[in-house]
This record gives sequence, C-alpha cells and structure tokens, in this order.
Amino acid sequence: MNKYTIGKIYFGVLGIVTLAFGVAELVVTAGGDSFSWSILEIPNGIFRGGWGGVIILSAGSFYLSGIKNLSEIHQFSKIVMGSILIWIVAGCDIFAMITESIPGEEGWFNSLEGFLETYAPPYPPAIILLPFSLIVIYYIYKRKVA
Amino acid sequence: MLSIDERWDLIDKISKKTVKFGKYKHTLKDAVGELTVKPLTGIPVAVAVLYGFWSVFSSFAGFCTDGFLVKIFDGYWLPWLQNIFPGGLHNWLYNLMVDAGHIENGVLVPSDNCFEAFGVLTSGLFVPFGVVLPAVFIFYLMMTLLEDIGYLPRLAVLIDTVLHKIGLHGYAIVPTILGFGCNVPAVTATRILETKKQRFMMMTLLGIFIPCGAQLGIMEEVIPDTMGFVILYLLFGYFVFGFILNKIIPGKSPEILIDIPPYQRPTIHNVRKKVWIRVSGFLKVAVPFVILGCLIVGVMYITGFMDWLANALSPLLTNWFGVPKETVGPLVAAFMRKDLAVAQLSAIEMTKYQMITSVVLVSIYFPCLATFIMILKEGGKELLGSLAALVASVFIFGGLIHLIWILLGVA
Amino acid sequence: MKILLMGHPNVGKSVFFNRLTGSNVIESNYPGTTVDYTKGYMVLENRDIEVIDVPGTFSLEPKDKAEEVAVKMLEEEKDAIVVCVIDASKIERGLYLTLEIIEKGYPVIIALNMWDVAKDKNIEIDVKNLEKILEVPVIPTVAISGEGIKEVVSRIKEAKPVKIKNIIKNVGG
Ligand SMILES: Nc1nc2c(ncn2[C@@H]2O[C@H](COP(=O)(O)OP(=O)(O)OP(=O)(O)O)[C@@H](O)[C@H]2O)c(=O)[nH]1
Ligand SMILES: [Mg+2]
Repeated sequence: MNKYTIGKIYFGVLGIVTLAFGVAELVVTAGGDSFSWSILEIPNGIFRGGWGGVIILSAGSFYLSGIKNLSEIHQFSKIVMGSILIWIVAGCDIFAMITESIPGEEGWFNSLEGFLETYAPPYPPAIILLPFSLIVIYYIYKRKVA
Repeated sequence: MLSIDERWDLIDKISKKTVKFGKYKHTLKDAVGELTVKPLTGIPVAVAVLYGFWSVFSSFAGFCTDGFLVKIFDGYWLPWLQNIFPGGLHNWLYNLMVDAGHIENGVLVPSDNCFEAFGVLTSGLFVPFGVVLPAVFIFYLMMTLLEDIGYLPRLAVLIDTVLHKIGLHGYAIVPTILGFGCNVPAVTATRILETKKQRFMMMTLLGIFIPCGAQLGIMEEVIPDTMGFVILYLLFGYFVFGFILNKIIPGKSPEILIDIPPYQRPTIHNVRKKVWIRVSGFLKVAVPFVILGCLIVGVMYITGFMDWLANALSPLLTNWFGVPKETVGPLVAAFMRKDLAVAQLSAIEMTKYQMITSVVLVSIYFPCLATFIMILKEGGKELLGSLAALVASVFIFGGLIHLIWILLGVA
Repeated sequence: MKILLMGHPNVGKSVFFNRLTGSNVIESNYPGTTVDYTKGYMVLENRDIEVIDVPGTFSLEPKDKAEEVAVKMLEEEKDAIVVCVIDASKIERGLYLTLEIIEKGYPVIIALNMWDVAKDKNIEIDVKNLEKILEVPVIPTVAISGEGIKEVVSRIKEAKPVKIKNIIKNVGG
C-alpha cells in the first residue's frame, strides 16, 4: 500500500474527529456550561469555546478537503494548514497554562503543587489533537526528500 | 530622455540578453501562501491568527500585570507612598501626587489600589508601567513577527477583497492594522495612499475609531468581559463613517494595490531591534502624556473646575449619552491619553452598558494629543475644518449607542 | 560625496542602509515601510560619507506622498551617487527605475538584491554581461546576510554617469 493511501485514511479520520470536536465546542458554548469527560475538557465562553471552536471546525474542514489527491501540492497544503490551525489553538492553550501556573494567588509565586496541577488533565480538544496533527511534519519531510 | 515605451523596449532587450527564467515549480510555501489570501480558505486562517494574537496578548498581559505588577504597585508602592509622602488626604499636593481619596458613606477615605488613587506618582506610573507596558510589548512583538513573516500584506489583501465584496473600496488596511499598535506611526503610514482625499479620510478614521495597543491593554485589564462590544462598536463606526466620508468628501479613492512579498523566516536580530525601537518610542510618547494628563485632571478636581464642568455637561452626558456625569474627568484625560482615560473610567461606579458607552466615547471623541499633532503635521489645515463635522458625528454615534441600549431595554 | 539608496518598495533598501551605516531604520516584509528619508554616515577611505535611505518608489513620477519624498530627495541631491537596489527576482521592474535615474545623469551602481530569492526561483542573471551593457557596476547581494555589501562599498567609486545612447548601442550590438 502506498504511503499516501495511509495518509489519506489517517487525515480523513483525524479530519472527522477534529470536525466533531469543533462542533462539540460550539454546542457546549451555546449551552453555557463547560463539559468534562475523562481527560477531555471542552471549554465554554465566547472566546475559547466559540471563536476557538470555529477554528477547530475549520481545521477539520481543511483536513477533509485536502485528502483527495493528497500527493498534489495544493491539496497537501490544506492538510498542512489544518495542522497549523490546531497548532495555533493548542499553542495558545499551552501558553495560557504556563502564564497561569507561575504567579501565586497571594504570594509572588505559585506553590509547587499548584504549579504542577495546572498541567494536569483534563485538556482542551486542541491539545488532545496536537500530537496527532504533528504527523504532518513527517509528510512534509518526506516530500522534501522525494 | 526615452519615452515610457522606448524604455520598456530597451529593458526587454537587456533582459533577453542577460536573464534566463528557469522552470519554477510551486513549493509548499507558495501553496500555503495562496491559501492565506483566497477568501474561502484565508478567512479561517485570519480568524485563527487573530485568535492566537489575542490569546497570547491577554495571557501575557495578565501574567505581568495581575501576576506581579499589581502586587507591587498596590501592595508596596501605594502604601509606602501613603506613608512617607508629607501631608495627607486633606493636603492638595498629596491629593495631586499620591491619592485623591474617595468618599465612602460621607467620609473621605484613602484608596487601596492604584486605579482609584488618581495621583501622578500612583496612577500616573501604574497605568503606563504596570498595565500598558507589558501589553504594548507583547503586542509589538507579535505584530513584528507577523510583519516579518510577511502575513501582514496578505491579511491586508484578504480584508481588501472582502471589503470589495460588500462595496467598500480603497480602505487603507496596512495603516489601519498599524494603528492598533499606535495611531501615531499609522498616521504617517497613510503617505502610501494616492489621493489627498484618501489620506485625509484614513487619517481621520484611524485617529477616531482605531483603539491603540495601550488602550487595548488597559481594557483587557479593567473590562475584559465587555471590551468585545467596545471593539465591535468602534469597528462598526470605522466602516460606517468611512462609507459616509467617502461619499461626502470630494475627490477620488482609487484601488489600493499591494505587492505580496514571499513568506520569510523572521530574524531574531531584526525582531529584537524593532520591538525595542517601538517600545522605547511608546515610553517616550506615553509616559509624559500620562503624567501630564494626571496633573491636569488632578488640578481640575482640586480647583473645583471639574465639578463645575460635570454639572454643566450633566444634561448632555446623562440624557443624550446615558452615562454618569462623573465621566467628565476621564473625558478630559482622553485628550492626553486614552489608556489613562479608560483607567479612570474603571474607578467610576456604573452599569456594564454605561461602561461600554463611556469607553467608546472616550475613544472616539478626539484623537489622543500625540496623534492629533501628527495628523496636523501630515494633513495640514484642511483637517481643522472637518473637526466640527466630526464632533457632530460623535454626538450622533454616542446617542445611537445609547438608543441601542434603550431599545434593548438595558439602559 | 553623498550616497542615495533608491529602488522599489520592499526590495531591502532599509536593510542595506542599516548595514552600511549601523543605523536602526525599521525594516519590514511589506511594501511601504519607509515613508520618510533617514540620513546616516558610513566611513569610506577615511572619509565620512552621508548615506540616505528613502521611501521606495516605482518610478520618478510620484504616485503618492512617500514616492514624492523619494523623488524630491533625488532632485535635491544633484551630486549624489545613487545605489539602485533591485529585487533580482523582479529585475525588469527594477531596471525601469534604474534607467530613469541613469537618464537623469546620476552616477549609478546597481545592487541586485534578493539574489537568494532569485536563485530559489531558478532565475539566472548574467551579471558580467549586464555590467557590460549598462556600463555601471552590478553586484549581486543578499542584504539580510550581508553578502555582497562589501563589494558594493568597494566599488562605489566606479559609479559613473552613463549615456543612454551607449546602453542602446551596447544592447543592440
Ligand atoms: N531573502 C531576502 N530577503 C531580503 C533581502 N534583503 C532584504 N530582505 C527582506 O526584505 C524585506 C524588506 O526590506 P526593507 O529593507 O524593509 O525594504 P525597503 O526597500 O526599505 O522597503 P520600503 O521601505 O517599503 O521601500 C525585509 O523583510 C527584509 O528582511 C535579501 O537579500 N534576501
Ligand atoms: Mg525601507
């Protein structure tokens, strides 16, 4: 089986999951309360849930529109863009965690437990999608070599 | 001298002899670049970029200000000054420099934070250094990255395409985006516009409706939940008034063509240099004006002039705009600096909707002094004539917002 | 002696200027960054030489205020040597402005900047031949990395006014 066929299936599935996450974020935002299940926490609020949800939704659409004829550069660039969108949202989530974890409530700095606790699950969808979206780097590398 | 055609002819011959254009295959960079300017794919990307911009901006600003600087200013600096500064709440110099105090149950009590103290050494330093500096720093850092990567002109082209679709032509997007950092260089950047009309129009719109990085930073700190509304109102005003000005000002507004440069990796050297130039530029412009603003407003309160002004303007403020008459102080401060004005507004008791209206008001009713001087320098005297028209528009716009609140039943 | 940096917007004039003079003019990846001129100094053979960074312009008929500044600067500095900075990947557009400046009788030296971009795009330029035709120094440069800048400096004194007739003759023959 050709590598691109595997890629097609992989990004197809990832696209569907991403799309579903996006929809879920929008539904949760419309509902009002945040939603938490296992290691997943879907944020609410206009900014992270609404705006962020739209971006995750677009990322899913980019993936799905890119899988047809994946080896062609313009199609492949959509896959790359889908991943970039996820990286942006996940990057922001991680940056927010870092900036939250350092200062303390009362004193200057957070306690060690408080610091570590910020990084414990549950995580928002973008962070859960992050490792899966990184696969695109392998494909970029592969194109370069080819 | 050659004619234009002769010159191109000559160039053609020269290039035939010296230049060979080899085969060029589209690279991934080009393909991604295309995605970012076509509306269908470009809009989601722009939405994500703005999300990232905003998210990092607020995380970082909150980290510095709430995480550390507020603790320093409110926990150490203010109490220390209140302790060592001679005089007390009933001394005018103390009121001016440290703490104006406020009335609680009929008694004058000292302030417990730098927003409410209004003193030159407290609010006057807290606003620029405690709140605005981190915000401006992170804003410029990200703006510089977007600039050097080459996303800025693409965003401009994208917005331009979208605006065309809704019938708006000739908006200068690059200066507008720069204006979100600081209006002063944005006004200078309108030099790339072709006609006088366009320059004039964009300078006016920029100065009035585009909130600068300093103002965004302070809004993020004091009204994080409602600043979205404020920005929407301002952008709405920017486009509506732009549309009207375009109709009534004589002259042409030709299309704006932007050459899109290739994407590039920004160099640390250049980013560091540019952020430094801009942040130090900010400090030079902002700090003196914030302090001057604090002084002027303080003196006006102490001499009783502010109360007189508040009472005189009270019918207009409460009936037409629907905001408390105490907002007159911030309105005066807004001549100097918008960030100071918003900070002072936050110390006044009012409803969420009044807050939105009054923040919009302090943003639009006049460009800040530094911007105004720059507009005069760049635009000349014609601008003064239009100022009257502008004041009129502000009244309409402010009243309109009040009307919206009334219709929504929240005013 | 004065040196004027002229060229289209976004070709790297400000990067060039900062390299030559050690100044801190803003450089950005979009056209229209510089809208006013900046003066700086560089040392050449123990002499202080004034270098001027001007806004980018497409031609000598100014279309906007920034271009006006550039053209006015050129007219004011009658005895300046002009370093024409050209984007090597769009060489034809750049040559237009260069020819205009040559026709005005200024001594010119050409920096074919963005040489790296041109290479990426598989554009080959015969620099030697171009020099022969235009009769002025032509130097490939990459301003951001500093490549070629030294050569530009060392050949500034070779800049001289050229008769447009000669160029026409050179290319025809
Ligand atoms: N790849 C490459 N990029 C370059 C080179 N020289 C300059 N640049 C980049 O080109 C962009 C424009 O450079 P500037 O110096 O600001 O251009 P300018 O000619 O001053 O432009 P205006 O001020 O708008 O007229 C910057 O992002 C530089 O990093 C080069 O030789 N190669
Ligand atoms: Mg420049």
